[in-house]
Amino acid sequence: MNIISGLIQNYFYFASIVIFLIGTHVMLTHSNLIKKIMGMNIMETGIFLFVVSIGYIRGGSAPIVPIDGRGVRFINPLPSALILTGIVVGVSLTAFALSLVIELYKYYGTTDSDEIMEMRRRER
Amino acid sequence: MNDPTVHIPVIVICTSLIGAFLAPVLGKYRPALVGLMARLIAPVNALLLVILLRYVDAGETFHYYMGGWAPPWGIALSVDYLAIYVALIIHLVSAVILLYAKDDLFGEVRGDLHRWYYTLFLLLVAAMTALAFSHDFFNIFVFTEIATIAACALIAIKPKKECIEASFKYLILSTVGSGFILLALALIYMVTGHFNLTLVAQNMGAAAEAYPLNIMVSLALLIVGFGVKSALFPLHVWLPDAHSSAPSPSSAVLSGLVVKIYAVVLIRIILTVFGGEVLAAAPIADMILIIASVAIIAGSLFALAQTDIKLLLAFSTVAQVGYIYMGISLLSETGTMGGLVHIFNHALMKTLLFLAAGAIIHQTGLRKISDLDGIAKRMPITMAVFSVGALSMVGIPGFNGFISKMYLATGAFDAGKPVFILVILMSSLLNGLYYLPIVVRAFLGTNAEEGKFAKDELPLSMTFPLVILGLACIYFGLLPGSLLELVRKAAHYLIAV
Repeated sequence: MNIISGLIQNYFYFASIVIFLIGTHVMLTHSNLIKKIMGMNIMETGIFLFVVSIGYIRGGSAPIVPIDGRGVRFINPLPSALILTGIVVGVSLTAFALSLVIELYKYYGTTDSDEIMEMRRRER
Repeated sequence: MNDPTVHIPVIVICTSLIGAFLAPVLGKYRPALVGLMARLIAPVNALLLVILLRYVDAGETFHYYMGGWAPPWGIALSVDYLAIYVALIIHLVSAVILLYAKDDLFGEVRGDLHRWYYTLFLLLVAAMTALAFSHDFFNIFVFTEIATIAACALIAIKPKKECIEASFKYLILSTVGSGFILLALALIYMVTGHFNLTLVAQNMGAAAEAYPLNIMVSLALLIVGFGVKSALFPLHVWLPDAHSSAPSPSSAVLSGLVVKIYAVVLIRIILTVFGGEVLAAAPIADMILIIASVAIIAGSLFALAQTDIKLLLAFSTVAQVGYIYMGISLLSETGTMGGLVHIFNHALMKTLLFLAAGAIIHQTGLRKISDLDGIAKRMPITMAVFSVGALSMVGIPGFNGFISKMYLATGAFDAGKPVFILVILMSSLLNGLYYLPIVVRAFLGTNAEEGKFAKDELPLSMTFPLVILGLACIYFGLLPGSLLELVRKAAHYLIAV
């Protein structure tokens, strides 16, 4: 019961782990290379959501000090700032992976990893 | 802080980074200078690191704060023997590889891409150096990613479909690894509130008591994440294709350096951040020890079945990474020394073997071991040096591989786990079984043309690095004194905490 009530209270942690697992599953099991890359992005989104929600407090606002300087609860800005870097890393990984898929398509004429494996086996 | 020597860690990282960004611009206007610049950066940095080492010898190891901001706000670099030792290996070995790359690249990479090759190489060197020095979880994550992208691109730069495919496989599996690492960092930050390794270590005891689940899950995620990247046995599936299809200089740097850096980072995190209490709560060290032993035996058995010389070398790397993990997870001082010294020795041997294999492929186009009959008659210097590397791998006394094996065996004995001496002996036997036939075939093969040894006809820029590496293998096999002194200090740092 403890775990269940913990999950209900922290539903965003639960949601982000579910997203992470969906992404990882897509990445490792789908044979379509583009879908693998989409899975990679979904997985990263799950982690980003998780990290950002660590720094979140209920009713908190962005850490910009108002002019009178009082009476506002701020969220922890550090995780959000770090995830900004994480997003940049994710974008570059995606771009690189997509360019590799284009190259693979030039050589094999398909974006399906099973078909590519089949072609390689026949070559041997 | 007035002494300029303290800034050396940052200077070393930044010169490689700046060199990486200068390379394409310089290559556009003065193509001849790019290679020269890359070849200058690595030895100069190695020299700077030696100066830093002297400085650290005189005083204590210290933490360098970027911009002078102390830890809770600023970013710290740990300047200790382990970091300097690893950074020195990176720069010395990559200096030799870059020397070799000059002529070898013409056969493997399109001419207009050479400057980008140097960009990627220097980027990889900078990222690895930063990983060695990093004292901050988030920096470790970012530089892991930089190293991953640079390493993948170093494979994919060769316009062959096997390379693109291997690079894609490597990229996907590494991304899963990075995802696990980032999740682990988030879990640690959640309960300790810090990213700095020292501060996390201080808060670890209380956190482990209050939230044991978080700590255990993050430890598991870290081991899997870095395990994928350093090709720890069941997670090594990307390595053989990636290392064997890449251009030879890339194979050498990937196999000789990259996989080990991740191992070093993982070991540093486990031993200095998680520390004794967490390790006592779960048999992490014993688990890694067993996985490493399986890796040693399985990697050697796979290598035994290979017919392609570069694939054989790649599988042998899987086994050798096992040695490094094994030595350090023995948790005795000599064992840790064995693991650390093997990082250096294996970097020398495997670089040497990959470059020699590359020289053979460059000159003759032969990759199959069965085609190498009598190759020593055509390329005597290359094969002589290859034999030195092969004998080192087997662990013949007098070559550097023997030193690390001796320390590993003594370490296993000291730790009260003599079973693992048997593993080391068995793997030496297996190493002999797959390396020595190549040497025998090359020198005594039936296909050997009559009588005389011909000249190698390799350009000097390829022969010279090979000979340097060969001599280094013998030198550190006979006179390992100064190396062991440094390794002892690095091991002491790891074990003391």
